[in-house]
This record gives sequence, structure tokens and C-alpha cells, in this order.
Amino acid sequence: MGMQETTATTAPSPQSRRGRLLRWLPDRLAAEGSLGGLLLRRLRDGVIVLLLVVTVIFFLAHVVGNPALVFAPVDATDEHIDKIHRQFGLDRPVTERYWEYLVDLSRLDFGESTWQQRPAIDAVTEALPSTIYLTVVGLGAAAVLGVIPGIVAGARARKPFDKASNLASVAALSVPNFWLGLLLILLLGVQLGWLPTSGRFETASIVMPALTLGIVHGGRIFQLVRSATFEEMSKPYVTVARSKGLTEWNILRRHVVRNTGVTTATIVGWEYVRMWGGAVFAIEYVFAWPGVGLLTIDAAHRQDFFVLQAAVIIAGAFVIFSNLLIDMGYQFIDRRIAAT
Amino acid sequence: MSSLPLLEVEDLHVTFRTASGPVHAVDGVSFTMRPGSSLGVVGESGSGKSVTARALLRLFAITDDVQISGAVRFDGQDLLRIDERRLRDVRGGQIGMIFQDPLTSLNPLMAVGEQIAESLRLHRGMSRSEAASEAVELLARVGIADPEQRATELPSSFSGGMRQRVMISLAIACRPRLLIADEPTTALDVTVQAEILLLLDELRRSEGMALMLITHDFGVVAATCDDVQVMYAGKLVEKASMAHLFDRANHPYTEGLLRLVPRFEDAHTGRLHPIPGQPPITGGGGSSCAFAPRCSHAVDRCRSEVPPEIAVGPEHVSACWLAAERAKDTTDAGHPWRRTP
Repeated sequence: MGMQETTATTAPSPQSRRGRLLRWLPDRLAAEGSLGGLLLRRLRDGVIVLLLVVTVIFFLAHVVGNPALVFAPVDATDEHIDKIHRQFGLDRPVTERYWEYLVDLSRLDFGESTWQQRPAIDAVTEALPSTIYLTVVGLGAAAVLGVIPGIVAGARARKPFDKASNLASVAALSVPNFWLGLLLILLLGVQLGWLPTSGRFETASIVMPALTLGIVHGGRIFQLVRSATFEEMSKPYVTVARSKGLTEWNILRRHVVRNTGVTTATIVGWEYVRMWGGAVFAIEYVFAWPGVGLLTIDAAHRQDFFVLQAAVIIAGAFVIFSNLLIDMGYQFIDRRIAAT
Repeated sequence: MSSLPLLEVEDLHVTFRTASGPVHAVDGVSFTMRPGSSLGVVGESGSGKSVTARALLRLFAITDDVQISGAVRFDGQDLLRIDERRLRDVRGGQIGMIFQDPLTSLNPLMAVGEQIAESLRLHRGMSRSEAASEAVELLARVGIADPEQRATELPSSFSGGMRQRVMISLAIACRPRLLIADEPTTALDVTVQAEILLLLDELRRSEGMALMLITHDFGVVAATCDDVQVMYAGKLVEKASMAHLFDRANHPYTEGLLRLVPRFEDAHTGRLHPIPGQPPITGGGGSSCAFAPRCSHAVDRCRSEVPPEIAVGPEHVSACWLAAERAKDTTDAGHPWRRTP
């Protein structure tokens, strides 16, 4: 397929070129085996999901709710509300407003923040790096807490270390994340006074929120890595490696980890996306971490609809994009392994 | 004949503790092997033959709750009592092992040459490059064409028979004195089976190793082994030389197994002779002959006392209460698998 496209050297008439272009995309999308085709398919799916998110937000705000009521003071008269209604152009047909909304979004125009008196997107882009920083450090902590003990526990299944770490991980992933955060504040911040308890004012500020994320998500990573390692350890080639006289440590290091590596990377990737699905928002609130989560909750409290909307859409887009990257990365590694 | 034994197994017991109670997988097995000899261990699935082989090297999963007792004397040391470090020297160094399923016996993400070289570096102290070139020679030794290229490939690019050849080259890499092959041909095509058996037999002779071949197939034993022992429910029920056993099988279970080998003459009648019933799943440990419920010759005594190993000929024992009288009755069965010298 790719060959045909590149080897057609005769100067194409404008029409046939357009025809080829029109055929190129569906062909690419249908190309099951190629990585490029997969990327295009995933991109298409991502755009569809993002469009759904955007649409749901629009209809929740404009059809189910009435934006004019949000801006009107509590004691506003009906005429006053009508005036706001007209001012915002809310008396125009829904389809027209929806189209306008999409056009604005495509220009990254998310409206003005009523609370901060500046474009809503600015508030979000200011907060986003803090959240990315927190999630990346948090994931690092989760990976360290989850992967290494997971491998050791899986390799020494049903031994004391496995039992103890298993119990700890179940506790870690069952505990509500905000409660764990509060507990850490009490212990490390208030009682021992080792770490700052809130905000992002010094380097050490990251430790507690990242640790909380690390414990909660590390628990799940541990569970999955442990079971993957355990399953791998019961495969015949491990017995063969043992029959060759290798030490358990070398069997783990040279054989088992090599085979569970892709699974582990995927698990950690999933956990990153999952973090954006909730935990990071609660943790930012508990630790007053100036990220998108805290911004969203503040915006909700202040009824700042445009910031809320911008935060949800941009966070959503980020999650969709990360998912795509992880998926492609996994496919890439998998194919490279299959190819060698 | 008179040389010192290479391997001496004495009263070996292996018990797995499972959720549904203990399973006596091996129940008092004793045997010896001379250097360079070949021994076939035959029995149905669950007879304890594989567990016996694994117990010699204590090759159990970390999750197996297993108890081993008895003695396994190999080269002057008891393998059941030496520490882990010395046991690892024996594993792969003194005793090599081949497993049933060549498709899953190799690490799918490691080049086969590297998997062989790993042993060489560990036991023979070779450098990386020495081990790599020795691995290529070993692959050539087991009949793999274009070994330099093949050594760099992953197991997925090898067929089943070729993988078993790789597995064999891995097991013999450090010139072990004993090679244990656990159902090495079960997962292979019949034509490939013959090639692998031929290779094993040829290697045993050229390297002077002893070969312990575990199988459920008498045909395989007949082609490769000098001595044979039959296992049932964790016990050895009959031990003899190959030729002797085919001519004068004593134990009713052995007789049943031999009758299971399809004979060419029977082809037109389409008749097979299965042994009725199933082997016990909890292994041995009872107070009767474990085979009695399936035995058409069983008498009262078989159901109340465990039969001892009774000598019925030179180097021929049978664990059957009727061994002595059966030995008198048994005449040349004229079995087609009988060895011609």
C-alpha cells in the first residue's frame, strides 16, 4: 500500500491527486498491521472522545442549566435575568451557540474568568505545570514503592515478605487518599515538624503530596507487578534456569524481569492516567498544591464556570493524549520484541 | 558392571502438602545408576516419575510445600543434604536436565546462544566470548544448521524439535555426568521423536554420560535404555534390564503397560488393551498394593499388605505378592519391542 503511493511518479492531475488524498486516510485507518495506521486510529478516537467531553459540558451548562442564573445576583429580578440572557446571546438557537462554542474552543478561547479577571485558559496553563510536576514525582514514588517490592514479593510468593507487603499494599489502596494525606500532615508536618504541610513554596513542599500519591498508586502497581512476577516464576523456563544452577537472584534479574518488563511499564503508564482521573485533585486540595485540581475546586466554589470548563477540557485532553502515548509506546516495544 | 554407582537413591519420599491433604508423590523409591548407563523410568501420569527426577535436584517451585526424605548420593555427596550453593554447582554442572515442553522451556526473550552461554560462564568459568563460541559449537553438535546465525535468534524462530535440540545442547553444555530427560519427546512429532532419541543415545555414548529417561512410552525406553524401572503410585513396581523385562515382565501392571503398546499384527482387529480404572491421585502411602483395585490377578493379601520388592531373576525385582509364581509361569511373550542385540 505504502509502496504504491510512493512509486507513482507520473505527474498527477489535480483531480486524481485529490482522489488519492481522499483514499489515503481511510487506507491508513484500515491498515491493521502498521504502527502509523494505529496512531491515526487512536488519534481519531481521541478526537472523538474529546469532542464528546466538550459536548457534554456544553449541554450540561446551556441546556440543563441556565448560565444567566450563575451571573445574576441572588436577589435579581426576572427582567434583570432576561437582560443578562440577551447580553450573553443566550436567546439565540442552541445549534448556533454550540457551533460558536466549538469555534471558540478551537481557538483556545475558553472565555473570561469572572473571578480572576483574565482569560480562563491563562489560569489553567499557569496551574498545569504544578499538576504535571506533582503527578510525575508521585508516579516516580509509586513506581519505586510498587515495582521493586512487587517483584520481590512475586518471586518469594507466600513467604513472610510477600504476606507483609501484600497486606500493606491492600491497606494502601483501600485507604481514602485525602485521609492518608491528612494523616501524613498530622504525623510528618504537625507532630514531627519535618515537612511543610501545604502550598508550593519550597523544594520540600512536593514530598508529602507526592508520597501520598505514591502510596495510594504504588499499592495497585505492587499488586499487578507481584501477580505478573508470580505468574512468570511458575513458567517452565524458570525451572530450566534453576536446573542450570542459576541463583534465584540471577533468575529474577536475567530472566523474569526481562519478561515482565513490558507489562510493568504498561501498568505504570495506566496508573499515571488513573492518577489524573481523581486522586491528584483531592491531594492538591488537601495540600493546597497550586495545580489544576485546586483550581477546579476553587473555581467551582466561586461559580467561575469558564475556568472550571477550561480545566476539565484541558485535563481531559491531557489524559487522552497521555493514554495515546502510553498505548503507542507499548505497541512500539511489543513490536520490536516480536520483530527480533 | 562392577564400577561404583554414580547415583544411589535410597528410600526417597516426596510429599506435597496441599489444601486437600498430603500427596505422597514418591513413596519409598530406591535405585542405583552406574556411570554411563541408561535407565528408563516408565509409568502413567501421576505415577511419581517426574517428581522423582525433580527431587534429585530439589527442583520445586518456591510455592510448593514439599517434604523430601531419604538419600540421593551422587559423587560422594547427599544431594538432599548439601547446601544451596553446592547444589547449584551440581545443577547444570554435574547433572543436566531436559524437560517435556520445548516450547516453554526456553526464555522467549533471550537469544538461544546466550541461554547456553549462561551455563558455560557459570560452571566452566568461561569469558563472554569463549562462552559464545562454545555455544555455537554446542548447537552444531546437536545438529542445528547455520549455528552462528541461529545462536543469535530467539526461541520463537525455532520449531519444536529444534528447540528440544537447543534444550539438549544447553543441558549437556557443561559435560554433566548424568543427564535427566523428563518426557523429552512427548510434545514432538513421531518422526522428530526418533531423531531426538537417536541424538540422546549418541550423545550418551560419545560423552560417557549416564542417561535417565522418564517416559510413559515403552517404545521410547526400548529404543534408548539398557535398564528399566516401572513406577506406579509413587513406588517402583518392577526393575529389570530392558531385554529381560520385555521377555519376562512380571508385575501385572508392567504387563498391562506392555500390552498397551499397539502391535502391528493387531492393526486389522483394531483392538487396544487399556488397563481398567485410574491410578490413585493421592499417590502412595496406603496399606495395600496400590495397583490391587485395577489388577485382575489380585488376591486377598494384595488388599491388606504392601508387597515388598521380590527378586525374580538376576537384577530383576517385582513388587508383587504373586511375583514368585508369576516368574515361573512367564514364558517368552515374543513381544515385537524386544531388543535384538
